[in-house]
Amino acid sequence: MRHRADFSGGELNVIVLIKHVIDVELNVRVRDGSVVQDGMTYVLSKWDENAIEAALVLKDAHDGEVTAVTIGPERSGESLRKALAMGVDKGVHINDPATEGSDSMGYARILAKTVTRQPYDLILAGRQSQDTDQGGTGPMLAELLNIPLVGNVVEIAAVDGTKLTAHRNGDAGKEVVEVTLPALLTANDSLNEPRLASLRGIMAAKNKPMEILTLADLEIDPATVGAAGAGTEVVEMQPPRARAAGQKFEGAPEEITKEVMGLLVNEAKIFG
Amino acid sequence: MTSLTNDDTLILETIDRFIEREVKPQVRELEHDDIYPADLVETMKGLGLFGATIAPEYGGLGLSTTLYAKIVERIAAAWMSLTGIFNSHLIMAAAVQRFGTEAQRREFLPKFATGEMRGGLALTEPDCGTDLQAIRTTAVRERDHYVINGTKTWISNGIQGQIFALLVKTDTTAEPRHRGMSLFLAEKGKGFTVSRKLEKLGYKGIDSAELVFEDYAVPADRLIGGEEGLGLKHTLSGLELGRINVAARGVGLARAALDESLAYAQVRKTFGKPICEHQSIQIMLADMATRVKAAQLMVESAAAAYDKGERCDMEAGMAKLFASEAALTNATDAMRIHGGYGYSKEFNIERYYRDAPLLCIGEGTNEIQRIIISRQLVERNPV
Repeated sequence: MRHRADFSGGELNVIVLIKHVIDVELNVRVRDGSVVQDGMTYVLSKWDENAIEAALVLKDAHDGEVTAVTIGPERSGESLRKALAMGVDKGVHINDPATEGSDSMGYARILAKTVTRQPYDLILAGRQSQDTDQGGTGPMLAELLNIPLVGNVVEIAAVDGTKLTAHRNGDAGKEVVEVTLPALLTANDSLNEPRLASLRGIMAAKNKPMEILTLADLEIDPATVGAAGAGTEVVEMQPPRARAAGQKFEGAPEEITKEVMGLLVNEAKIFG
Repeated sequence: MTSLTNDDTLILETIDRFIEREVKPQVRELEHDDIYPADLVETMKGLGLFGATIAPEYGGLGLSTTLYAKIVERIAAAWMSLTGIFNSHLIMAAAVQRFGTEAQRREFLPKFATGEMRGGLALTEPDCGTDLQAIRTTAVRERDHYVINGTKTWISNGIQGQIFALLVKTDTTAEPRHRGMSLFLAEKGKGFTVSRKLEKLGYKGIDSAELVFEDYAVPADRLIGGEEGLGLKHTLSGLELGRINVAARGVGLARAALDESLAYAQVRKTFGKPICEHQSIQIMLADMATRVKAAQLMVESAAAAYDKGERCDMEAGMAKLFASEAALTNATDAMRIHGGYGYSKEFNIERYYRDAPLLCIGEGTNEIQRIIISRQLVERNPV
């Protein structure tokens, strides 16, 4: 099944892709080539919150249904619940140990099978996830679905009939892009300010539908996803180099300017 | 220690974000200018705070007191006045929920829960507060309504609120006196006026007002529970929740004073080292943190008992007593640690210093708290 491409004037059904990630605001430690998971807390990846907000704004304007989809272990359900609390209508959680170790392509394959189970007009995702910063899943999914992609969207200007106009931050400045729906958009964090999940919304989220699926439910061969199906492999992980302490210069302005310039040229080699 | 559910965590995350995003950036300006935070109230309505402890069947969230106390603590740490806007509103709601007739519950609780109709408690009078049986406001029955005359003062939300749980005497000659006391739901209208806004040392932003009742006619079906003579009982039963509220505010204030002192003491240097390395400061920090921890545990334990339906009048009173004194002492210590900056209006410490004393005198002074605690001790441990 492909998708509905003609919602002209009718409801707009949106799928939001979200990821439950390590809270990078905390001190992430690396040991023996991988991230230490003990004592870590997990949060909804921040750009995904922008994607959810955009979906909810569209829903308010056009009606329709917003479905949030995530892949991950049990704990990923927390981010889905948060999405439901913010106002998303329905959650889909692909919880299967065989998805562990997926690279962007693996995630895209799983999502392609997932999103085509229901009609949709638009798919929204964060422009990258906060943990890997890879930014591959959204574009790869668009490719698998053979639908247009607009990455790094800063504004959704208009949705009209089967067309959507989005502004994106490109290399040379802002680009205004028109796409035919269905399409996939990835969100920049300046797209909007995500709403707070209201207390009422949090309590109401309990009664919203949450579907939990395995790879078998989606008829996906486990060998094509997860670590087994990954075309890329992280062979080593290194903690970021600790920043050296700054240097303080004291003295007469002329003298310290000379000193600082000397260091910038000879030590830091910033100037030719 | 109680553990939090996923929902609890989400709720507290929402509260924290609300505070960071909307409260902290404007608290000093609003507070110093004594401006009612109308936009924050709108946000709080949207969040559902005005229905926090109202039962879900009447449109509320039905949060546990334990979770509610944590919410109060967090908001009070950012700006205590905000908690006053929904604290007494929810105690009014609790009186309707516990003692109101079914018709009263259906009529009022859903509107209280959305914040469409807000208010508080009207108990204190110019000549009496802690000794409520001495009130002079009277209600005289005339056919299908009561005519009320009297003055109430220090009424939180008095100007911005629309409806109040009003304690009156329906029989001025009753003995014991409380048998002549009744609690009404009084909506603003003819004969019910706000005579003035009261200026205060702290607790600014929230309106504290004097309310005047002159031949104010209230329909008889607004008598909470529909029966005269139970007003004091209804009022006092809300005090456990009220004390837990105030205790949670105390924890918030005491913690805020500690957090800022702890940060400041690590960056401020005297005699070549951060002041947190001087013994005099270390001792203050240690005592402040210990008070916060103890107060938190007392509030948690009283709230947990309340949630289980166990008797907790004494426990709530102890928590109120201890946490409010902790707030006052920590605010004072924070000012000593911050020195001139503590005294400056560009920092938060002076606000804590002005807000904290209210906790020691409001919701039953700490002096009467001690007397009640002592009486309960004897009552529970007879020889």
